[in-house]
Amino acid sequence: MTELMVTPYAPYRDGIANYAVQEVAAARAAGRDMEVLSPLPSAAQHHLRLGSALGMGRLIRFARGYDRVVLQLYPELLFGACRGRRERLAVWGLLRVLCSVTKVELRVHEIEYDEPAGDPQARRLGHAALSAAAAVTVHTEPEQQRLTEAFDLAPGTVTLVDHGINFSRRTETTREDARASLGVPADAFVFLSIGFVQRHKGFDRGVRALDRLDDPDGRARIYVVGDIRIDHPDLLDYREELDSLCRRVGGAEFRPGYVSDEEFDRWLVAADCLVLPYREIWSSSVIERAGIYDVPVIATDVGGLAAQAPAGSRVVADDDALAAAMAEVAGLALGAETARDAADVPREQAAIQRLIRERADDGGRAPLEADRLHHTPRASTDSARPGIPQVKRLIARVTAWQVEPVAGHLDEVIDRLRTDLRHLEERIADLEGRND
Amino acid sequence: MTDSDADADRSGTIALVPPRYGPEVVGGAEAVISETAHMLAARGWEVEILTTCARDHFTWANEYPAGTSRDGDVTVRRFETQTDTPGIHRKVLGDRLLSGAKLTLAEQQLWMNDSLRVSGLWHHVLDHGASYRAIVLAPYMFWTTFAVGQIRPERTILMPCLHDEPAAYLDIYQPLFSGARGIFFLSDPEAELAERLFRLPARTEVVGSAITLPDRYDPDGFRARHGIDGPFIYYAGRREWAKGWTELLDAFRRVHRSAGLRLVTSGVGEVDLPPGLPADRVLDLGFVSDDERNDAMAAAAAYVQPSALESFSRTVLEAWGAGTPVIANDASEVVRWHVQRSGAGVTYRSQRELMEALALVGADPDAFGAMAAPGRDYVVEHYDPTRIGDRVDQLLLDWTSGTGSAPAAEGGAR
Repeated sequence: MTELMVTPYAPYRDGIANYAVQEVAAARAAGRDMEVLSPLPSAAQHHLRLGSALGMGRLIRFARGYDRVVLQLYPELLFGACRGRRERLAVWGLLRVLCSVTKVELRVHEIEYDEPAGDPQARRLGHAALSAAAAVTVHTEPEQQRLTEAFDLAPGTVTLVDHGINFSRRTETTREDARASLGVPADAFVFLSIGFVQRHKGFDRGVRALDRLDDPDGRARIYVVGDIRIDHPDLLDYREELDSLCRRVGGAEFRPGYVSDEEFDRWLVAADCLVLPYREIWSSSVIERAGIYDVPVIATDVGGLAAQAPAGSRVVADDDALAAAMAEVAGLALGAETARDAADVPREQAAIQRLIRERADDGGRAPLEADRLHHTPRASTDSARPGIPQVKRLIARVTAWQVEPVAGHLDEVIDRLRTDLRHLEERIADLEGRND
Repeated sequence: MTDSDADADRSGTIALVPPRYGPEVVGGAEAVISETAHMLAARGWEVEILTTCARDHFTWANEYPAGTSRDGDVTVRRFETQTDTPGIHRKVLGDRLLSGAKLTLAEQQLWMNDSLRVSGLWHHVLDHGASYRAIVLAPYMFWTTFAVGQIRPERTILMPCLHDEPAAYLDIYQPLFSGARGIFFLSDPEAELAERLFRLPARTEVVGSAITLPDRYDPDGFRARHGIDGPFIYYAGRREWAKGWTELLDAFRRVHRSAGLRLVTSGVGEVDLPPGLPADRVLDLGFVSDDERNDAMAAAAAYVQPSALESFSRTVLEAWGAGTPVIANDASEVVRWHVQRSGAGVTYRSQRELMEALALVGADPDAFGAMAAPGRDYVVEHYDPTRIGDRVDQLLLDWTSGTGSAPAAEGGAR
């Protein structure tokens, strides 16, 4: 029997890719003939641009050659390049067709529940697709219940699989070596928030909670490790906000950048406690990986985290409980928060101005004028008219070799201009300071 | 087997993973891997080369047959390359990288995956990685190293062959370096550069690279075979812009008449003569055997290394082994280091300096050649194959004693 896994895949660093690699490794170790198709070129044997009706059509043709297809389902994989509601509905319909041409198992990682709630047609088509699948799996009971209700599925359609069933250790390092290799003090009490940086993961909440600990020796530290997945303005803003917050809170350190699977696990080994202050999530592979290394977890009570958290974890309801739990595991008391934005605002204008400058001076952040300069916008390929996005994409691809170097050069000029402006503004501020 | 710790436990298989492998493959890292594989096999290790079917690092076309073969005592497993992407991201993002732009993580990953990929090799290591005692990867920049290095980092020993180039500053390489079980560097400058750029694991060592010198050279035979009777300068390697080839051609074009020199070259890539440089002044030998290259080295008035991107530069050491002085690009830290330590060559910091150096060779080849005298001793003292082999052997014994190896699955390491 030949099987196909449809999924993001290594060497891309991505939670679902990581999950899929482990499932593929386990299947192949068991002697199963499993191939992989990824939406971007990767270590997979095949790649296909998905996220649209056209992509789903291609997948149907491709999947005919396989006895079983396992699809790691998340919204971007199905709908990421869709132009609107009609195409999204078409994708649901085509997913139903896919389920009829071969045996399809859907591993649901994320799904947009607003869609079936607000659109009866989406609910109907989603119901048809999910009901036609050979299996639909999720990782937690709350997800099972929500998915069943959202698409009006028959009881038993959605089943539970252990999120960490195929997870294995990626490092054999000791805590001492892990800390040394990561530049973490050997004697610190280390809280860790790790994963893609997104507002809904609430890493800022853990940092603020640390700031409330009464820690005169400065032993407790929190490391926020990870970066944004794509350069979306909201994500860039949040990363900047998080970076700024970490600079203001003693003991907090933001480590943005690429984290491999091995380094991810090394951080877990180095940590005393994993802090997952998510604002919303359904299930977390980070919790599963922490379980492999017996790292205590503090998580907020959202989605299926309470069900997923290993025994001994602290599941908290709000920010106060989060700070209390962190204080308890670190053996500290709660004190007053010092970095709270409203706390220490001075009354004098010059002091306020100074504070604003200090807060803005976070090492790389450009002042206001320089911030107004943006990189060269690339032509949008969106259009509501049928066929036009494809034509635009083709034109973009054909002309990229000429346009991109020029636009890239322009971006460079803008970057330098920003730097010069920043220096100029600093110089002006300096001169103004002397005049005062 | 040599006498070095003959009773030590060398059980388990050592995998070495270069992007290309074979007698016709031209490349320093590939040569180091080949040399290391055979040194280890000679010391009693079971050694496998896991590589692609490609010979050309521009096309990555599958030219060797996929499957298992033997190269002396070494098993070679070849896997087909996938080059099924248009390469636009690679080109566009690569240009931005060269211009000094900072790429986002998403762009870096796109850049990495928009060229050579080897799914078969990657899945072979996914399936059988636990049965290898160590997986040695080189050089750092290629997909084979980047992707495979993430599968079993606890068994991975990196031979990065690192240069100071824009790609070395990409974030995606950080975990490759910091997470490896150990790192073999080829020179002190390479190790210093890595320390500046990366957080390194506890196990790192400058091992160098073995240079096997021939018993004899035949410079007269070389001249006779190719009808060369005057002084010439020699360059062996990849004729590419990135290796400084166009810079060398340009300087040579300006001085060849007054200096009375010819340029002899061997290796791969287009020679692509610039206007104003007569074809009869440049002799392209194409790909040549090791013996022929050594004879060319011995016959040359000087060997020129125009590349700024060297992590070791074997050809410079081979030139010194043949008693030939070297003219090298000062921008290459490692070659400058070799030249300063040996005293057997000169470096240039500008086109003008390169032209002056070539003019000096032409003016008095014998006087210029006298500079090469300490070169051979330098090579023998520092890069003797037996000593380097014993060192690598001992490091593998020390570093991998705890890795163990799971029983091999079918098709994997024995």
